[in-house]
Amino acid sequence: MSREPMLEVYIFEATQLMEQLEEISIECEKSKKIGTEAINEIFRVMHTIKSSSAMMMFNNISVLAHSLEDLFYFIRENKGETIDFENLFDLVLSGIDFIKGEVSKIQNNGEADGSSEILVLKSSSLLRNMKETNAEIIKNDSTEQKEDTKHYISSYQSGDEEGKQKYVARIFYEDGCEMENVRAYTVVHNLKNIANEIYHLPKDIIESNDSVEDIRKNGFLIGFSTSERKEKIEEQLNEIIFLKELELLQVEEYPPELKVLKRKKEIILDQPIETMKINKEETPPLTITGKQQSIISVNISKLDMLLDLVGEIVITEAMVTKNPDLEGLQLENFNKAARQLRKLTNELQDIVMSIRMVPVSMTFHKMNRIVRDMGKKLNKEVELEIIGEETEVDKNIIDHISDPLMHLVRNSLDHGLEEKEERIASGKPEMGKITLEAKNAGGDVFIIVRDDGRGLDKKSIYEKAKLQGLVTKLEEELTDKEIFSNILLPGFSTNETVTEYSGRGVGMDVVKKNIDSIGGTISIESSRGCGSEISIKIPLTLAIIDGLEVAVGKSKYTIPIISIRESFKPKENEVIADSDGNEMIMIRGEAFPIYRLHRIFNIKTEVTGSNEGIMVLVEDNTKAACLFVDSLIGEQQVVVKALPTYIKKAKGIAGCTILGDGNISLILDVSSILDR
Amino acid sequence: MAGVLDEIMEESEDTQKGKFLTFFVGKESYGIEIKFVTEIIGIQDITEVPELPIYVRGIINLRGKIIPVIDVRLRFKKEAKEYNDRTCIVVIDIKGISVGLIVDNVAEVINIDDSNIVPPPDIKTGFHNRYVRGIGKVGKEVNLLLDCDKLLTDGELDKIYETV
Amino acid sequence: MMKRVLITDDAAFMRLSLKNMLERNGFEVIGEAENGKIAIEKYKILKPDIVTLDITMPIMDGVEALKHIKAFDKSAKAIMISAMGQETIVREAVMAGAFGFVIKPFNEETIVKAFSKLK
Repeated sequence: MSREPMLEVYIFEATQLMEQLEEISIECEKSKKIGTEAINEIFRVMHTIKSSSAMMMFNNISVLAHSLEDLFYFIRENKGETIDFENLFDLVLSGIDFIKGEVSKIQNNGEADGSSEILVLKSSSLLRNMKETNAEIIKNDSTEQKEDTKHYISSYQSGDEEGKQKYVARIFYEDGCEMENVRAYTVVHNLKNIANEIYHLPKDIIESNDSVEDIRKNGFLIGFSTSERKEKIEEQLNEIIFLKELELLQVEEYPPELKVLKRKKEIILDQPIETMKINKEETPPLTITGKQQSIISVNISKLDMLLDLVGEIVITEAMVTKNPDLEGLQLENFNKAARQLRKLTNELQDIVMSIRMVPVSMTFHKMNRIVRDMGKKLNKEVELEIIGEETEVDKNIIDHISDPLMHLVRNSLDHGLEEKEERIASGKPEMGKITLEAKNAGGDVFIIVRDDGRGLDKKSIYEKAKLQGLVTKLEEELTDKEIFSNILLPGFSTNETVTEYSGRGVGMDVVKKNIDSIGGTISIESSRGCGSEISIKIPLTLAIIDGLEVAVGKSKYTIPIISIRESFKPKENEVIADSDGNEMIMIRGEAFPIYRLHRIFNIKTEVTGSNEGIMVLVEDNTKAACLFVDSLIGEQQVVVKALPTYIKKAKGIAGCTILGDGNISLILDVSSILDR
Repeated sequence: MAGVLDEIMEESEDTQKGKFLTFFVGKESYGIEIKFVTEIIGIQDITEVPELPIYVRGIINLRGKIIPVIDVRLRFKKEAKEYNDRTCIVVIDIKGISVGLIVDNVAEVINIDDSNIVPPPDIKTGFHNRYVRGIGKVGKEVNLLLDCDKLLTDGELDKIYETV
Repeated sequence: MMKRVLITDDAAFMRLSLKNMLERNGFEVIGEAENGKIAIEKYKILKPDIVTLDITMPIMDGVEALKHIKAFDKSAKAIMISAMGQETIVREAVMAGAFGFVIKPFNEETIVKAFSKLK
C-alpha cells in the first residue's frame, strides 16, 4: 500500500483549496459581504480539509478545519445577523497560513508538528461571541424536522389481522460505524414498507444523540408486526450495513419494554422533511473560474520529457522529409504521406505546447494577499489592478517570476506608494494603485508592474551610482532607462532605512538574477511624482515558430516570420548612404536603415554588392529596418532551442534551431538588432 | 579510443579516480579527469555565434543537443592551427554544463596516482597557465592536469560575458 | 463478477482513498464524479451496481443527486458518505432511499465492512 500517491494528491488538493479560500476571503473582507455562494464554498473547503486531513492523520489541521467549519456552519444557518468581518477573516487567513505552513512541512518530508490550539481557541470564542450576539435572533428549531417518530402507525395496511405476525429484533452495529441512531432510524424507515406497527427502544432516535450510546450498549430493539414471511424479514434485516449481530424472534407478544410504548399511542403520518431555504442574498457567486474543470496533476518532469521529445520529433520529421538523399526524386506517394505526417506532428506540437502553457492569473492573484497584508501593516490603502491575466506562459517561467513579482509589488507598496496624507496633499486619490499586466508581443511575453506612487529619484540614483563607481558618463549622456537600471546592480540602494519588507537593496539584483535565468530582461521607467513602471520581457523558451531561413556567408540564420514585412532584391542605386556611412533605402516613400548582417556578425561572405543580396524588411513594436543577407533559403517551422547558458545571451540572437540537414541555424532577435 | 572510454564509463566513480584522459595541444600534453568526460568526437561543423570571445568557436549539434565548443589552443593563448582529421572535440560535463574542448588530438587514458602529482609552479615564476591544477608524472612524460572547473567558470569569463 | 462502483466526491483525495480501498477489496471502480450533477450523468451512461455519494458537494449535493437517480432507477444502490454532525441530512438521504451510509473519516476496515453487504 503506497502512501505516496495519496500524499501527493492530499498536498496538491490542500494547496489548491487554500489558494481558493484565500482569494474568497480577501474578496469578502474587501467588499464586507459574504454571499451564500461564498459561505457554502468556504464551508465546503473546511469540510473537505477536515476529512482528508483526518484520514491522513494530520490531526492538528483537521481540528482547526473542523472548528472553522463549525463557525461557517453557524454563519450559514443564521444569515442576516452582523458579522465581524475583520476578526473573522483575520482568523480565516491565519488558519490558511497555518495549514499552508503544515502542508509545506509535509511536502518537504517533515512533520506536520505545528499546534493549531491557539487558532482553535480563537475560533471557538469567536463562535461563542456570535452565538451570544444573536441569541434572540436564532430561529428556534424551524429548521428541525417535525417528524416525531417515537413509533409509527404506518400507512401500510396489508389486510386482515390474521396474516400478521409479531416479531422482535435486536440489532447490534459494528464498533465505530458512528451515527447508530440514524442507522436505527434507517431500519425503522425501511420496515415501514412491510410492517404495520413498529415500537422501538431507545424511543428517541431522531432528536437526541444520547440514543447512540444506548444503542451501542444495548443494541436497538424493535417490535413490529407484519404479514411477510420470516425469511423475507431476515433477508431484509441482514442487508443492514454495518450489522454486527441480529436477533430475530417471532413472538406472540411484545416484550414488556416495548409493550409500555404501545400504550402511548400517537398517530403520526409520514411527513416529508422540510429543509428551510435560507434567504439567498443577491451577491454574485464567488466561485473561481476553472474550478469545475476536470483536472489531473502531472509530474512536471514528465511534461519536460514529453516536450523535449516532441521537439526532437519535429526536428527528425524535417530530417526525414527534407533529407538530401531524396533530392530530385519524384515521390508522390511519399510526399503525400509526408504531408500527413507533418500535419499530425503539428497537431501534436500544438497540444503539447498548450499543456505547458499556464495562465499567469494564479501568480497574479497571489499578490492580492500580499497587497492586503502589507497595506494593512503600512496603513496604506491600495488597489491591485490585474490586466491580461489570461496570458499564458510556460510553466517553467511561472515558477521563476513568482518571487521577483512579489518583490516588485512589495517595493511599490513600501517605497513607491506614498502615505495617505502625502497623496492627498499632492492631489492624488487616497487609494494607491498597483497594476499587474501581462501581454504577448511577438515571441515575447511582457509582465509589467506599475504604480502611481512617487516615482524614482533619478538624480539621487545617478549620484549613488557615481559614488559606487558604477557609472562613468555624465548624467546628461545617459538615458533615463540607463540611469534607473543601476538599481538592479548588487548592493545598490538609496534607502537610508531598512524596512521589514524591502531590505537594503538586496532585492533588486536578485530579481534581475531570476529574470536572467529564464532569459528575460528588465527595463525601468519612472516619472517623479507620478509613478514607476517595471517591465519584464521574457522570450518564449520553447517555441515553435515560423521562420525564414537566410544565408549569410556559410552561416544560416532564421528570421521569425512574424517580424518580417517583406523581402526583395534591391537595385544598386536604391541604396543611399549618409555622411557617416549609414546606409538606408527608400520603400514607397519611407526611409529605412539598412543593417548588413555580415557586418553586424562579422561573417565572411562574397556577397557584398547591394544588388547581389536580398533585403528583408523587418519590424518590431517601434522600429523597422532592412536586413541585408546573401540569399533566402526558404520558409520553415523551426523549434526554438535556447543557446546553451554557458554562452549566455549573444546580442541579436534569440536562440537557435537544428535544420533538417543537421546544421544549426541561429535565430535572430529582431528587436535587439533594431535597437542598435 | 571510444571503446576504452566506454569501459571506463561503466566503472563506478571511485574507480574513475586517478584516471586521466590526455591530449595534445601543441607540444604540451594535458590531462583531464575522466569523470568529467562524457564523450569524444571527431571535429565537425561548428556554427559560429557572433560576439563571443575568440576562443569560443561557436556551437555544435550533438545528436540534437546544442553544445558550445572552446578551442583550447586559443584559450591558452597559443597560435591557432587549422583543424584536420585528427582534431577532436572532448565533451566535458561539469555541474550540468556541457562544453566541447577542441584539441589537436587525443592520446590515451592513463592512471596517475596522487603521489605522482605535484602542484604547479607559482605564477610569479612565469608559468602563466592558470588552469593547471597540478603536474602529473608518468615515467618520463609530464602531463599538465587541468582544472576543468576553472577552465569553464573562471571569473575572467564572466566579466567578458557581461559586456556581451 | 466484480460489482461496479461509481464514486462521487468533490475532493480528489477522498475519491482516490475510496477507490484504492474498494479496488483492493474486490470492487471495480468504473467512474468518478466531482458533483451530484455529473454523478447523475455518469450513472445514466455507466449504469453502475453501486454509487457512492458524498453529501457536501458544489453544484448539486449528494442527497439531491440521490433523489434524481432514484427517480430513474428505483433499484439504485447508493452509499452516502457523510461527516459527523450531518444527522438531519443523512436521515433525509435514508428517506430518499439510500442503501446505507459511511461516516468520514473512514479506514479500509470500515469500507470493507460497509460494502460487504453489497458484494
